[in-house]
Amino acid sequence: MSNELIQIETPFQFSEENQQEFERLIQRYPVKEAAMLPTLHLAQKQAGYISPAVMEHVAELLELPVMKVKDVVTFYPMFFEEPVGKYVIRVCYTLPCALRDCKLVLEHIKQKFDIDVASETDLAKGTTPDEKFTLLKSECLASCDVAPVVMVNDDLYKNLTPEKMDEILDGLE
Amino acid sequence: MVQERRILYEHLDVPDINTFDVFRQYDGYKRFEKAIKEYQPDDICDMVMKSGLKGRGGAGFSTGLKWSFVPRDIEPRYLCCNADESEPGTFSNRYVLERNPHLLIEGILICCYAMGISTAYVYIRGEFTLGKRMLDAAIEEAYQQGYLGKDILGSGFDLDIYSHPGAGAYICGEETGLIESLEGKRGQPRVKPPFPAVEGLFHKPTVVQNVETLCNLPFLMGNGVEWYTDIGRTYGDTRFDPPQSDPNTGTKLYCISGDVNKPGVYELDLGLTAEELIEVAGGVRGERVKAVIPGGSSAPILTHYELECRLDFTSLTLWKSMLGSGGIIVMNETRNIVDCLLNIMKFYAHESCGQCTPCRWGTPWVRDIVQRIADGEGRQTTMQRPKFGVAEGGRWGDTGEMEEVYEDLDLLESVANNIANVDTMTWNTICVFGIAVSWPAVSYLRKFRPEFEAAIREGKLVTLSVEEATVPPEENYAYQQRIVPSLFEAPT
Repeated sequence: MSNELIQIETPFQFSEENQQEFERLIQRYPVKEAAMLPTLHLAQKQAGYISPAVMEHVAELLELPVMKVKDVVTFYPMFFEEPVGKYVIRVCYTLPCALRDCKLVLEHIKQKFDIDVASETDLAKGTTPDEKFTLLKSECLASCDVAPVVMVNDDLYKNLTPEKMDEILDGLE
Repeated sequence: MVQERRILYEHLDVPDINTFDVFRQYDGYKRFEKAIKEYQPDDICDMVMKSGLKGRGGAGFSTGLKWSFVPRDIEPRYLCCNADESEPGTFSNRYVLERNPHLLIEGILICCYAMGISTAYVYIRGEFTLGKRMLDAAIEEAYQQGYLGKDILGSGFDLDIYSHPGAGAYICGEETGLIESLEGKRGQPRVKPPFPAVEGLFHKPTVVQNVETLCNLPFLMGNGVEWYTDIGRTYGDTRFDPPQSDPNTGTKLYCISGDVNKPGVYELDLGLTAEELIEVAGGVRGERVKAVIPGGSSAPILTHYELECRLDFTSLTLWKSMLGSGGIIVMNETRNIVDCLLNIMKFYAHESCGQCTPCRWGTPWVRDIVQRIADGEGRQTTMQRPKFGVAEGGRWGDTGEMEEVYEDLDLLESVANNIANVDTMTWNTICVFGIAVSWPAVSYLRKFRPEFEAAIREGKLVTLSVEEATVPPEENYAYQQRIVPSLFEAPT
């Protein structure tokens, strides 16, 4: 029998530290379901992306059907269902940044890594082969006074030009 | 020139103001202490009502009135602080969270004391990672200092504040969308009524307030109602003062971006004109102003001859636009309005939550039509319908000419108006996202129609001069229908 098509995933478990964090989170709400978003953020931080195994574990913790978790994961753009690069680059592309030439920055990154912009359904096309960077277009990042802006993981970079972007990206391990 | 009046932002640049000790040196938490020692909760609600404070999140609804809707006999009640700042062009809450989070905590404390609330959630958008870290640290400190937790300052008043991260959905800034999201579901807005004040988070009475609104409370508390209502009247002598029943009091954190020399947040008394604001922000970058978005990307656009409009909640409504969240985006003469609309429509098409059909389908349609026009493939037909007018014989009827019709422009307006009708102000969707889509679509089209027509005629984007691109005042629907503020001038 060929089992090649069946992907067997290793079950997901929170690390001890994250498990404690989760216990702390769950105290904050009168119903467990409300801890969904912070728990998913926590899981994504540990696992890199929300795989079916992660969803199952979160569903178990929150005592919900897995479908409810999947429902939430697909709704919010910040949760990834596929692996992404170590650094997720979000280039703000809304009007105030567009008026300040964010296009130059985006095109520069595309050329630099020879990748396309990832879409929510196809993250792979925006990820470098070494899985170091994923390039995403982002909606307004609420820093229009210092446009154009780019977020790399949790850090915001302001007043960017292609040269400045180069410096920042080259400085990342 | 109009001067800045920094109240909320006064100590923003003080080093280490994010720590309890430094915040304390600048009157921190003293206004809350005054509230809890000298006032009964009902007195504070009264003060807020009298102050005329309007919600700064977008709708501009009276805060005091909102509080009065909350039934006091249902326990528990909740406060949700809306820090899901996602409206393009708005960025004032970010600075409060990142640099002065204790001010927000003090505002929440006063609000919760007045409303008898013992649990508050701060819904922070997921991208504000630094803001969340700073707020979490500040909350932790406040617990240690005894300003949060059980029996605060020995008064018997309990309060817990929790920060809750969003995950990148614009619609969660809508108050019921926020509540759904906080409950751990898709952030799709609820049908109102019941309003959150009656049935909100976990089906309990809930007050939802913007960060900026809450940050006004400590200063209102510390300085009194009279001091507060005096702000915003400084422009009043020669020009229009909002009617007594609908005052626009206090300062506003105006966020100005786009083509100005000094973009940023300027705290000014409500009610200066758009022209004055651009001057405060260092003037326009480039030759001249082509268009101004007055209140975040959802607001109807203003043309260069509408810049005399005062930027307060009432005046902008009378001019058929809105102050919204106070995000002003300026465009100079080099900008193409079709291109700008395309950018905004891509945003809305991406952010529609998909709950109501007119918005789920209509918004991408609007985007596709604008895309087609921008690509130079806009449809233009010579309509078979004869043009009516005074015919050769001097009688009314068929003139013998064919009318040139820009099919795509009619289609664009029709689709947008079917999501939400901007003329009747009725929307076919559950939340106001619908009107946030059709407002820009219809206003850009009607006010800058020559530029849209040129793009279709020439088969490519053509940037016309400011005069050519803008429809003249006599054809501008909003300008014609505006209510001139002087009509409301108080009798002397």
